[in-house]
Amino acid sequence: MPLYGTLDTASVAARLPRLADLDTEAWSLPKAETLQLAFEVPTDTWALLPKAMHPAVPAYAIVAVTRYSESPVGPFVLAMLRLAGRAGAHPRGFVLGGVASSAAAANALRERWGLPVEAGEVSLVRRHDRVMARASLGGRPILDAALVNPEAISPSDVQYINWVTLAQAPLDGVTKPMLVQVDPKHTLHKAERGRPEVSLLDAAAWNAGPLKPLNPIVATMAVSDTDLPRIRFVMDTEIPVFKGTRRIRESREGE
Amino acid sequence: MKFGLFYEISVPRPWERETERTVYNNCLEQVKLADELGFEQVWAVEHHFLEEYSHCSAPELFLTACAMVTKNIRVGHGIVVCVPEFNHPIKIAERTATLDILSGGRLEVGTGRSATWTELGGFRADPDSTKKSWDEFVRCLPRMWTQERFSFQGEFWSMPERTILPKVYQRPHPPMWVAVTSPGTELDAADRGLGSLGLTFGQFAEQEKKIAEYRRRIQLCEPVGSFVNEQVATVNFLYCHEDDAIGVQKGRGMANMFNYLATQLISTREVYASRSYQSLGLLPQLRRQAVGPDANQQGGEGLALGGPERIIKAIKNWESCGVDRINFLLNANEVIPQAEVMASLRLFAREVMPAFKDSAARAPAKAVA
Repeated sequence: MPLYGTLDTASVAARLPRLADLDTEAWSLPKAETLQLAFEVPTDTWALLPKAMHPAVPAYAIVAVTRYSESPVGPFVLAMLRLAGRAGAHPRGFVLGGVASSAAAANALRERWGLPVEAGEVSLVRRHDRVMARASLGGRPILDAALVNPEAISPSDVQYINWVTLAQAPLDGVTKPMLVQVDPKHTLHKAERGRPEVSLLDAAAWNAGPLKPLNPIVATMAVSDTDLPRIRFVMDTEIPVFKGTRRIRESREGE
Repeated sequence: MKFGLFYEISVPRPWERETERTVYNNCLEQVKLADELGFEQVWAVEHHFLEEYSHCSAPELFLTACAMVTKNIRVGHGIVVCVPEFNHPIKIAERTATLDILSGGRLEVGTGRSATWTELGGFRADPDSTKKSWDEFVRCLPRMWTQERFSFQGEFWSMPERTILPKVYQRPHPPMWVAVTSPGTELDAADRGLGSLGLTFGQFAEQEKKIAEYRRRIQLCEPVGSFVNEQVATVNFLYCHEDDAIGVQKGRGMANMFNYLATQLISTREVYASRSYQSLGLLPQLRRQAVGPDANQQGGEGLALGGPERIIKAIKNWESCGVDRINFLLNANEVIPQAEVMASLRLFAREVMPAFKDSAARAPAKAVA
C-alpha cells in the first residue's frame, strides 16, 4: 500500500482555523491572476501530511500567489503554500499556510473555509522578464519568489489541483480537527510559463517544518475566472479518506 | 484473437531482501506456464522510480530470462522509453537485437515516451520534447537494425558512421508498436505503420471508435520500418475461477489495487504545463474507478474477471471491437497468491482459450511493397 502522512494532529490543533459551520456561501472571483510555482521538496515533508492522506512521490510543493481584483471583501492578494499529496486516488494540495493582504480577507478565509491564512503584506509584480511575488508577516519577509522568462502557452496546458485544509470543523455536534476540501473551479483565459525561482521561503512562517525548495519543476502565470465554492466534502484526519469522507452537499448545489 | 501477459511487476511494501526476488520469480514461473499453455506473448514495461506500482526498470533483462525458460512465447519490450535521457538509441538497437537473437527471433518492440513527472523529472528529461524524440528514435531503429552501416544527424542525437552490432535475428526486423494511452496516439501509431499497444482498460465503445480510426488511417501510412504492423492489442486484468462470484470478487480486489497504485503516480500534466502532455492519459479513467484499494465495486466493462463463461463473453466483445490481442495483468502487489494465479492461468487455457481457437487471427504484419 502507498505510504501515508504521519502528522500528529493533536500537536497542531491549537493553531488551526475554526469554522463556525460548514455552510459558507460561495465567492465568485473573476479575473484572478495566479502565479504558481511547483518545486520538489525533501521527503521528510511527508510528516506534515495528515495520516488520512498519501504523500506524492517525489514530494513536491506549490507556492501560489493570486491577485483577486474583485471579491466580497474587496481586492486582495493571497499567498499560499501547499504540499502535494493524495486524498485516496485524487491529487490534492494540502494547505500548510497562507498570507492575505487584508485582514478582512484573512478572517473570511479562516472562518468560512478553514484556510490557515494570516493577515500580512503580499505583492505580485509583473515585469517583462519575470513575475515577482513577495510576502511578509509583521514586516518580516517570508517569501521571495519569481517566474523567470515568461512565455505564452495555451491556457488549456495549465492544470490546478484542488486543496485540502486542516481546520477545527463542526460535524455531528462536535467541533474537532477535520480535513476540508476546497475545490475552486477555473476558467482560464491566458497563461504563461517560465522557470520557478524561490530565493526566500521561511518554512517556519508557513507551518512547513523541514520544507525547502529543491528541484524546481515549473512556474505558471494565468488569468482565470475562479471561485471559492461551498464546502462539499470533509474528511477524518486519521483514517484513509476512502473510508473517512463525508459528503456535506451535492456538487456545487445552489451555486 | 491472441492472448498474452503484461507485467508492471508491482512489489508491495515492506521491501525486504527477498521481496523483489520473490515477485520476479513468481512472474517467471507464470511466464513459463503461460508458454506451455499456449499464450502467445509476454510484455514487460519500462518504468523507473514508481514505488510499489512498477519495479520493472530493466525489462530487457527480465525478458531475456523469460526467453531462456520458454520455447514459443514472444517477448515484448513494452515499452522502451524513447527519450535520450532514459535510453541512448544505439543502446536500444543493440539491446533489442541481442534479445532478438537470444530469444530466437521472438522479440516485439514497443515504443513510448513516459507519462509521469516522477520518471521524466528523475532523469531531468524535458517534457516538451518527448514526442519529438520518440519520433526520431522510431524512424532510426529499423535502420539501425538492418543497415550494415548507419549514421545520423538529428535534433536529439547524432552519430558518425558505424556498424551497429549485433543485427536483429528476425527478417526484416521485429514488429514495432506504440504504447497508446493518450487520445490521438493511436493515430500516431497508424501514420507510422506501427501496432497499437493499448494500455487502457475497458470501455468498449470508446476503444471501438479508436480502433476504427486506426484501421482507416493505417491504410495510408508511411511506415517507419520495413513493413506495416497493423495490429491492435489491449490490456486487461485476468482472474479466472470456477466459481464466478469468487472470480469476480478476487479479480476486482486485484484491479482495485492496481488502479489505486496507478492513481498515486504524479502524471506530468499534474505538475508541468506543457502542450506535449495535454492529456492525463490512463489516469482519469483509473481515478474514476479507484474507489479504494479494498473497495468491492469496480467499474470498467469488459474485464476478464470471473468464471470462464463471463470471461468468454467479455473477450468476444473485444473481438467484435476489432482487438487482435489481449495482454493480461495477472496480479497487483501480490494480492492474489501465486498458486491461485497459476490456477487461474490453467483454467483460462482449458475453458476460455478453446472458444477462440478458430478466431481469424490478423496477419501479424504486412510486408511493404
